[in-house]
Amino acid sequence: MTWHSLFDLSTMEHRHLLFAYIAVWTIQIGYLGWITWQWRHTKDTRP
Amino acid sequence: MSRPSIFRIAAWPWLLGTLAVLAVGFHKAIFVAPTEATMGDVQRIFYYHVPSAVMGLLFPYVNFIAALAYLFWRRRDPLKALAADALALAAAEVTVVFVSIGLLTGMLWGRAAWGIWWTWDARLSTYLLLWLLYVSYLLLRRFSSTGESHTLSAVLSVFAAVDVPIVYMSIRWWRTQHPSPVFGDGGSLDPSMWPAFLWNLGGWFLWGVFILAFRYALERRRQIADQENALRAIEASLEIPQ
Repeated sequence: MTWHSLFDLSTMEHRHLLFAYIAVWTIQIGYLGWITWQWRHTKDTRP
Repeated sequence: MSRPSIFRIAAWPWLLGTLAVLAVGFHKAIFVAPTEATMGDVQRIFYYHVPSAVMGLLFPYVNFIAALAYLFWRRRDPLKALAADALALAAAEVTVVFVSIGLLTGMLWGRAAWGIWWTWDARLSTYLLLWLLYVSYLLLRRFSSTGESHTLSAVLSVFAAVDVPIVYMSIRWWRTQHPSPVFGDGGSLDPSMWPAFLWNLGGWFLWGVFILAFRYALERRRQIADQENALRAIEASLEIPQ
């Protein structure tokens, strides 16, 4: 498989493969981003 | 000035190492692994679907052990119980993330390979039940107003963990639309596909540990901030006006 065939959206098989990989990264990066945002907006009160 | 913890010192090297492993895993999965004879390129969803599904069966046990520790310590040592509760919450969220990905990638794969998005077979149904149980756990913690939500959610997580071995065994106990095991004796995974699978399994495991530790640290920070606020409120209420 090549970069060209990875982004080939002409068949359902290729579309779903690309959507699956994008969805995995979107969900994981989104969750990490949400944790990071909360981390920055929660006051560190450790002595 | 607070002393940096071992988590903070290890965080960046761990994250960079994880991303490197995942980059290798992506390369192996898309460009190196052979095209599967029957399904074609859509089978490459396997390299993200299965590791996510495996993590979705691993992190519930972190939640389960932390919940048991919380129940054990809640009267004996409340400070340890709070730490266990933070770990249980972090593990439940990470579980929901990985199980959601397992369900979503499975549906995308199923539609292309079987022609259907979903079927109520034993594996898919028990896996959906697992997702519902941990979403219920998070909703209980978020919206319960009994004052005992941590204890109730810990008990729920003990029951939820029972579903994990049922999910694992479902394709062995019952005939399912979902494929039979592809690992171990009688497994059908071609040896040339193993490297791509193992790199992604290792990468998503490292990623899961990272987000678990980060979410745990966030919850601990929240708990300590809440304790500080509660102490200040008590001190303020005890001040006698001059």
